[in-house]
Amino acid sequence: MIPQFNYAFYVWSSYGLFAAVMAWQFFQPLVQRRKIMAELREQEALKSGGYHDTGA
Amino acid sequence: MTFHRLKVAFHRLGSPPTFFRLTRLLPPWLWAGFAVTALIGLYFALYVVPPDYQQGDSFRILYIHVPAAWQALFTYVVMAVLAAIALIWRIRSVEIMAMACAPVGAALTALCLATGSLWGKPMWGTWWAWDARLTSMLVLLFLYLGIMGLYAAFEDRRKGARVACILVLVGLVNIPIIHFSVEWWTTLHQGATIRFFGESRMHSSMLPPLVFMTIAIKLMFGAAILNRAGNDLLDQDRRKNWVGRYLGDKP
Amino acid sequence: MNLNAMRALLLRDLRLAIRHGGESLMPLIFLFAVIILVPLGIGPGPNLLSSIAPGMIWVAALLASLLPLEQLFRPDLDDGTLEQWWVGGRFPVSLVGIRLFSHWLVTGVPVIAFAPLAAEMLYLPDGALPVLLASLLLGTPILSLVGGLAAALTLGTNRGSVLLSILVFPIVVPVLIFATGAVSAAADDLPARAHLGLLGALLILAVTLVPLTATAALRLNIE
Repeated sequence: MIPQFNYAFYVWSSYGLFAAVMAWQFFQPLVQRRKIMAELREQEALKSGGYHDTGA
Repeated sequence: MTFHRLKVAFHRLGSPPTFFRLTRLLPPWLWAGFAVTALIGLYFALYVVPPDYQQGDSFRILYIHVPAAWQALFTYVVMAVLAAIALIWRIRSVEIMAMACAPVGAALTALCLATGSLWGKPMWGTWWAWDARLTSMLVLLFLYLGIMGLYAAFEDRRKGARVACILVLVGLVNIPIIHFSVEWWTTLHQGATIRFFGESRMHSSMLPPLVFMTIAIKLMFGAAILNRAGNDLLDQDRRKNWVGRYLGDKP
Repeated sequence: MNLNAMRALLLRDLRLAIRHGGESLMPLIFLFAVIILVPLGIGPGPNLLSSIAPGMIWVAALLASLLPLEQLFRPDLDDGTLEQWWVGGRFPVSLVGIRLFSHWLVTGVPVIAFAPLAAEMLYLPDGALPVLLASLLLGTPILSLVGGLAAALTLGTNRGSVLLSILVFPIVVPVLIFATGAVSAAADDLPARAHLGLLGALLILAVTLVPLTATAALRLNIE
């Protein structure tokens, strides 16, 4: 099976797009969740008074 | 009696803490299933299936394009069913699930359009053709974007979800009409339409990758909407007690 | 009681439209801006212009009907009139229907009235003019209805105008296709009855479903 290179570009970019969309669907909620959890933790810490600004 | 028990179980499932637990529990398994089926599908699609004598290798694009197109349409059906349930019974977790469908559907529609145009370049010699299916998919993409935009534009998220659910149902009535009209339009303007598959039958060796990729994308869809719905719920309920308890359990 | 309310609302809407003269003329001015700009942009060749005339007139009418949508329910929401529609035992659906009807009277009817002029400027074949008018008569109410639905959906948001066009555009695709199909067919001396029939079917569908849906959307938005 000899790959036809003039076609291969389109095939590989399609599969690359597929991988990119799947990765986006996987990682975007993950990143979003981290952000929400960080905000919630901060809120919790502020409420309990044990707030340490780790970024400072 | 059993009916009553089922009803109780159903309502319990709809309560935010239980639903949230579900969105944490299921996605890892679904993602794992996705990884396995996608790897098998890719192996078949890229190595096992021999090149087509007419199209060479570029028919392999269809193993991405077709499952994406199916799931893009199926996502709308799922979203519409969820929207109807949400509007009739006013179940909040169902509203959130319906809204989680839109970004996934939009991504799949975009993937379908992009791979369609990547297929069109070597086959038709042009990136874009006003083919009935491509045009309908483009309109569908804008419908998804409209739903996402409407949901995002409300300050009151719950109100936004319910208003967007109405739009989902309006779109459901419209999609068949749009598809029919666009098909009519292409036959009027082009005489013969260009078809994606031709009338040729698929060889049986071409089927396994299609099946595996379809299952993989469906599993991805399930995992992604649960992930998104869980996040949305957590974000909206940040001042509720159950979120505090959840944080307490997870230091 | 309800008939009185409907008549009062219609008269009030029309009176307001006349008093805001300049604003109410905007759709018409927009239509002619497009009709004048297109030949300037692509050249005055009669053949080219007459072949794109149905599409141009229809796209212009469609975009023109979007212009006043943002103000369709907003002032009534702001001064609390909208909430009154739901009290006093009235049928809010009928009032929503009247509001959409008056939107059509203000944006659709002027476009229909001036369509012969626009058709002449773009060299639409004379035989196609009746079909153009028929398609506008059947189609512009759908534009008003769908636009009104989009206005009702976006009422609770603060950036309605951007959303409006993206919500309306996918839904009115069939209207545009059937209407321009009818006019193009008539321009080629082909029968346009099938197109117009489908357009009429869409109108019936829109008239039955849109007022109810728009009322539900408004209700959610003012809750």
